[in-house]
Amino acid sequence: MRALQKYYKQSATYRIFSGIFALLEDFLNTLGQITIKGCQFFKALLKAHIDGKELSEQCERFGISSLPITLSIVGMTSIIVASQVANEMVKQGGGHFIGLLMTMLIVREVGSIMSGFAIISMIGSSMASELATMRVTEQIDAIKVLKVNPVEYLFVPRVLSGILMMPVIVILASVVGVLAGAVATAMTTDLSFRAYFESAWLGIYMKDLGVSLLKGVVFGGTIALISCTCGYYASGGAKGVGLATTKAVVWSFVAIVIWDMIFSIIFFF
Amino acid sequence: MSIEVKNLVKVFDEKRVIDDISFTVHNSETLAIVGFSGSGKSTILKLICGLLTPDSGEIITSEGDTAMVFQYSALFDSLNVADNISFALRERKELRKKYSEKDLREIVAKKLELVGLKGIENKFPAELSGGMQKRVSFARAIVTEPNSILYDEPTSGLDPISSTLIEDYIVRLKEETKAASIVVTHQMSTITRTADRVIMLYDGKIVFEGTPQELLRQETPYTKQFVTASLEGPMKMIA
Repeated sequence: MRALQKYYKQSATYRIFSGIFALLEDFLNTLGQITIKGCQFFKALLKAHIDGKELSEQCERFGISSLPITLSIVGMTSIIVASQVANEMVKQGGGHFIGLLMTMLIVREVGSIMSGFAIISMIGSSMASELATMRVTEQIDAIKVLKVNPVEYLFVPRVLSGILMMPVIVILASVVGVLAGAVATAMTTDLSFRAYFESAWLGIYMKDLGVSLLKGVVFGGTIALISCTCGYYASGGAKGVGLATTKAVVWSFVAIVIWDMIFSIIFFF
Repeated sequence: MSIEVKNLVKVFDEKRVIDDISFTVHNSETLAIVGFSGSGKSTILKLICGLLTPDSGEIITSEGDTAMVFQYSALFDSLNVADNISFALRERKELRKKYSEKDLREIVAKKLELVGLKGIENKFPAELSGGMQKRVSFARAIVTEPNSILYDEPTSGLDPISSTLIEDYIVRLKEETKAASIVVTHQMSTITRTADRVIMLYDGKIVFEGTPQELLRQETPYTKQFVTASLEGPMKMIA
């Protein structure tokens, strides 16, 4: 019987299925951890003493330090899109719709999703590695032994800063995106700035702005929550910190794309 | 009685790392827990301070705090020394409003003085030597006036003179706080200079219990092997 078991464990079928189950187990485990920490965050938020200094430091880190790169990425994405689309639209006689198209595209999608990607790579990874380092150097254990709630101390200011700052980043990124689109259009076509902005103005809907802000709130909170959770549950040494950071980035990317899809289905289907 | 451990069991991956262990540590007493690496010494400390949950058994501690000094100090590297020491007083709900900034400054200065460090309030952990970090972690541990203090290998990685200094502070803190202390260590000097009693763990069980002098007498195969650091004996290292 043992020989059979040994033989079975060496088989390709066993290896493939055990690998799939290990991945599934890790997926469900991480999902459970994020859900638990999310619930604990909301519970802590209701009764936590919010340290204004810590919150402002986290807001500065989330919003201000990431701003140049985030705005550049959204601006460049906008230039890429405008430079490819504008010329073609002018040729087809739709030049006066370029501003409208660019504004709708940026306010509805590019501003929020590209800012989200930029924030994940800059802030999410930094939060995850910070908490993971605290975990592997026993600093989180020290917080617990000192009878301080780690969710209140570590999660509340970070997730709250994401919720507060991300909508601001999305608005600024959208403004930069529309302006960058105007510059790219002017450089690649004969269309004037005035024609672009007259058309752009028509593309601004209150609903789109509201959804964009809501996306900012949800994306910011999700990125911070996932990053903090992945860092919090890190294990091992330097390798564990690396794995937790990678996991935070991958999960955040997938999560905001799923959220984006949900928003599209709810508001624009 | 300050710490009482009854029939404690902890299982990791089907292995009983702590296997039915019982002991008591009284106030103003220091118990050293010794044994090979992986014998479950640090696990006992984590169970006592609540970082791990026992699979069975009971841990009874007197009312009040249980403090822990971590092996690598575990100071918060983003906070300066003063904020590290006053962390529990600033962040714990029940203590937060009890102290003014002036009170906190005075408490920090007093605790730093107790561990022989003065005027380093504004330094960050990375600017301190290993021995100084350890002493700051002592100060952080005693800031809430705990009833029991747990030391996880407090002298590991330190030079002999720094080790002696740390050992002196362990004794001094016991005298000052009257706390029940448990010191997990490998070092003979730490055992003989700080402990009133010693227990030795092997394979999750207590294989020796007595005074440091009894340990040094090497009257059992276990104590003989440990004191002489011999590879021959009843305890087998897992390479």
